Amino acid sequence: MNLSNHTLTNIQRFFVYLFLVVLVVITLIPVWLLIVNATRSTLEIQQGISLLPSKYLMTNYRILLSKGLDLPLGFMNSLTIAVLTTVITVYFSMLTAYGLVVYNFKGRKTLYNLMLVLVMIPMQLSIIGFYQWMSKLGLTDSYASLILPGIASAGSVFFAKQYLESIMIQDLIDAGRIDGASELSIFHKIMLPIAVPGMFTLGIFAFVASWNNFFNAFILITTRNKYTLPMLIQTLRGDVYRHEYGAIYLGLAASVVPIIIIYFLFSRYIVNGISMGAVKE
Amino acid sequence: MFKKLKYDHYGYLFVAPFIIGFLIFGLYPVLNTVFLSFTDRTLMSRTFNITWFKNFQLLFADKTFITAVTNTWELWLMNFIPQMGIAFLLSVFFTNLRLKIKGVGVWRMIFYMPNLMMASAIAALFFSLFSYYGPVNQFIVRSGFVAEAIDFIRKPSWMRGLVVFIQWWMWFGQTTILLMAAMTAIPVSLYEAALVDGAGSLQMFLHITLPLIKPVMIYILVTSLVGGMQMFDIPYLLTDGRGSPGNSILTNTINMYMKFHSSKGHIGAASAVGLVVFLMTSIVALLIFFLLREKHDEPVKNGNREK
Repeated sequence: MNLSNHTLTNIQRFFVYLFLVVLVVITLIPVWLLIVNATRSTLEIQQGISLLPSKYLMTNYRILLSKGLDLPLGFMNSLTIAVLTTVITVYFSMLTAYGLVVYNFKGRKTLYNLMLVLVMIPMQLSIIGFYQWMSKLGLTDSYASLILPGIASAGSVFFAKQYLESIMIQDLIDAGRIDGASELSIFHKIMLPIAVPGMFTLGIFAFVASWNNFFNAFILITTRNKYTLPMLIQTLRGDVYRHEYGAIYLGLAASVVPIIIIYFLFSRYIVNGISMGAVKE
Repeated sequence: MFKKLKYDHYGYLFVAPFIIGFLIFGLYPVLNTVFLSFTDRTLMSRTFNITWFKNFQLLFADKTFITAVTNTWELWLMNFIPQMGIAFLLSVFFTNLRLKIKGVGVWRMIFYMPNLMMASAIAALFFSLFSYYGPVNQFIVRSGFVAEAIDFIRKPSWMRGLVVFIQWWMWFGQTTILLMAAMTAIPVSLYEAALVDGAGSLQMFLHITLPLIKPVMIYILVTSLVGGMQMFDIPYLLTDGRGSPGNSILTNTINMYMKFHSSKGHIGAASAVGLVVFLMTSIVALLIFFLLREKHDEPVKNGNREK
């Protein structure tokens, strides 16, 4: 009886692992093909699928540049926007969350409920009103319209609030007050240093979201040399690149690989961060 | 207590930037969209008229709009259901004490990876993979599965299937991580107590696990719905950016963008699309949240008390 139970568990376990392996293959194959094809010549790509890299990476890169796709510039544009958005989002989310956690002011509950509702509302659908308003302010075709909304990111405040509550030590704040520190400098000099791990997680998510954002940039940015990476990718499907598969794959890989590297470096922060906003709600 | 009161007004200082930012970049654009949707404003002319509900009348008479709304719901549902299903299965496997699956962290890490990929790059990738002379056709023709290459890009059901697959592929890992976190947060003592009372594993799942992970399930449902109703990058870049073939992957946001990007730049009409979908999604999302949340409070409290 015991033995048969044991065998049953082993059989089940075998099928579970089989299932997991199949899912891993499905998950990884598209990305792997993308990276491998970025190193293969167009001729090789047309001759068939291969899972092994080839040696045409630099050739593809030269083709890409020769067709007028300024990959390095797009990369720098995306990086600039993503870094600034990250800094702004993290700082202001922490500031807001600190205000919500530490002070019991009138309207705190209302503000908190507003955050909750904002997470459940498709704000992107007001992009037309946003666009028209930005053009009145003279902010279309400017990175400011992509970066500044980070000041009011409800989802990030939510996460920051959850995190601050878990690490908050009232005694430290009181000690700071006794020493005569101002409220803002208590936040800057005492709270922020303690909150670095949480800010780091928050920052990774803000960075990735900004890096991958296609729609807003697509609507707001018009000048060619201000294009972000996802916008350049969109131009890759045009006629100029019709038969340059190797170059196309390289362009795609260049936008995906940096994120894969960040992920493998910081996956622990990322995976733990995902559930933080939701589970302790 | 006295001290706290003295400092509480500092809270306004800390939340002020958020409120100002929200008014400028959040609330005003929404109000502006509402206003524009009542006008015939275009990007080409400075003058415009208030036309009240004309944009909405035209919209509801427009078959393309109805198609876009139906498509968006269908594309979302078709990826959400299997996404939830697989995520449930995986979280049960990963948290099962009898199976003791090894390397849970590594599996989860791999499954989550597609979520961080640039959606536009992924769509462009699948566009190449499934193009007429692309790798998928080469593979199935050479290995003899089919006699002739399939023109995937022109087949509505294939393109819909691909959008659904990509969405599923990008999101099942995240859903798994959330469900698993909720399941592992349940105290083991609850299950032990149930075992003593002679409960089976199905009973424990139905009466302990499900009620306790309900808040997280609601969170997943609502955020996925809100994201799904705004779906743009993947269907836009997978074919010609107009929801082809035959409007089969035309979504709400693509429809809105096409009005915005039409030769005249009809921002009045585009705003009307945005507003209708905004209201539809918000109402459904808030209904789900508030209706389901009220109910769940009870059993949790009862469960704790019984223990």
